Amino acid sequence: MMIPQGVEGGEKGEISLGISWPAAPEGWKWDGKEEIYRSRAIFDYIDGAGEVYLAYNFKDLFVRQFEKTGYPHIIAELYDMGSSNDAYGIFSLERQDEEAGIGQGSEFGGGLLRFWKGKFFVSIYADGEGPEVGQTILSLGRTIANSIQLTGQAPKLINALPDGKTGLVEKSIRYLHSHILLNQRFFVATQNILNLNSKTEVILAQYLRAEKKVHLLLVRYQDVKEAEAALQSFKRAYMPEVFEKGLLQTEDKKGTSAKKVNEFVLIVFGASNEREGEELIKGTEKKIGEM
Amino acid sequence: MDEERAITRRDFLRGTAGMALAASLAPEIWKEAAYAGEKTKVILIRHPEAVSADGKVHGEIVQSMVDDALKTLLSEKEPLQAWQQLFNSSDVVGIKSNSWRDLPTPKELEAAIRRRLMDVGILEKNISIDDRGVRNNPIFQNSTALVNVRPVRTHHWAGIGSCIKNYIQFVPRPSEYHGDACADLAKIWDLPIVKGKTRLNILCALQPQFYGRGASFFDRRYVWPYKGLLLGSDPVAVDAVGAHLLQKKRIAFFGEDRELDVLPTHISVADKKYHLGVSDLSRIQLIKLGWMEDVLI
Repeated sequence: MMIPQGVEGGEKGEISLGISWPAAPEGWKWDGKEEIYRSRAIFDYIDGAGEVYLAYNFKDLFVRQFEKTGYPHIIAELYDMGSSNDAYGIFSLERQDEEAGIGQGSEFGGGLLRFWKGKFFVSIYADGEGPEVGQTILSLGRTIANSIQLTGQAPKLINALPDGKTGLVEKSIRYLHSHILLNQRFFVATQNILNLNSKTEVILAQYLRAEKKVHLLLVRYQDVKEAEAALQSFKRAYMPEVFEKGLLQTEDKKGTSAKKVNEFVLIVFGASNEREGEELIKGTEKKIGEM
Repeated sequence: MDEERAITRRDFLRGTAGMALAASLAPEIWKEAAYAGEKTKVILIRHPEAVSADGKVHGEIVQSMVDDALKTLLSEKEPLQAWQQLFNSSDVVGIKSNSWRDLPTPKELEAAIRRRLMDVGILEKNISIDDRGVRNNPIFQNSTALVNVRPVRTHHWAGIGSCIKNYIQFVPRPSEYHGDACADLAKIWDLPIVKGKTRLNILCALQPQFYGRGASFFDRRYVWPYKGLLLGSDPVAVDAVGAHLLQKKRIAFFGEDRELDVLPTHISVADKKYHLGVSDLSRIQLIKLGWMEDVLI
């Protein structure tokens, strides 16, 4: 692993952001080094996955390792994402495990703790298994979360999702920007047929209806014109045979429907029937109106 | 947007089956699909004693599994005849292995391949086993044939660690292929050092990892002793079956197809865009040999 910038730490860890780290959580001792990766240097740390973080406007990464003889190392990564929207976004992109009650949103599963708080996203894991490892990861996570003083808001666009009895799967809500990020979670097309870019806000959510998965994609563009162009582009590439109607039965006998509402484009994938798709579109329209 | 026609989600649905994405949309479709044309063969062979309870791989058993699978794949009665269909004594052969720290290609499997290549009459000095050093390895640089062998496992950037993915070490900057869930990995197979050389693809499913989170993730809870090997001449078909196997295991383990970090779209893209092989399960003839308990697929 390349270390482009680093500092030798003292007994107790404090990094420039004013966040305190424990020096020896549960007997695991910090090895005294802090690796710092700024912007594109993230590729030196996580190779190809750096692209995902950059798509969320990533700023800086701080990495510390904790050691205990006879136990696996524990690695803690603190990402400064620049905004709470993007800290939430990177957290949401891969969320699937149970809430761990740490920070403003978290999950812990398979030895990996992920949480967000304020403009920070944190990932903590061990490079092997062993007794006490899980508890130490959680303890370290709580300490870091408590030392982050400022909280932040989750993206307001989430409020546009129909909820209540609609079957929304909370853990499935993803907030993202780009085509690359969307394809990470829900493959739409090899090319950017929705004209997504660093300024578009995208919510992808799954609804469970009669045990069938339906996906709602909600995109907010910079203006109405951009939204209209994106809808046209999507229809041309995805549903050319029903271009005007914007409602299609795909090859799996499920429905895809697409609609523009002001600067928003709404698409439902995998609806069991026309009514189901329409319900989700209408529900979203209503919530957009209330925002 | 690029003028080139986009491959969309609908292309996968239209394919009736195939990789994990389509399978996840219609999990029973393999059973229902009827494809009348010639199918690509993939061999699955399993043996209950290939791996002992402590994780030790038994070389002799693995050797017999490889031999039996290759005989079936190439419709030969003797292992040597099968190997001779693929290689001749003048070949220079690179065995592209995988040395990932937590789940490497077992040495016993590498040795089984090397042994049979030597039985064909290939000089030991003309055979090399390598992973991260392949670009600077003279045997690989001058190879006339390649064997592609790696464990099947979940992968943070590609969805699954596949045969297609295993060639990423042939490029100077692997990270350039990590974007968009590694969708364009099959492009690597067109590089001169690789193109047209791969005679055999083996996905080692002796102890696959069926689930994982994050870039460095390894957790023995999600590794199981399947004790199998998947072999074929078509890397895309072998990978499509491998992805399907991991998906079936996730469903069996979690009671649902729990999402991977990314979808393994590179398998379908290798088929639909790069025409490297067949990803549609309905167009793959899976031949199962040996131990059938909990075979899953």
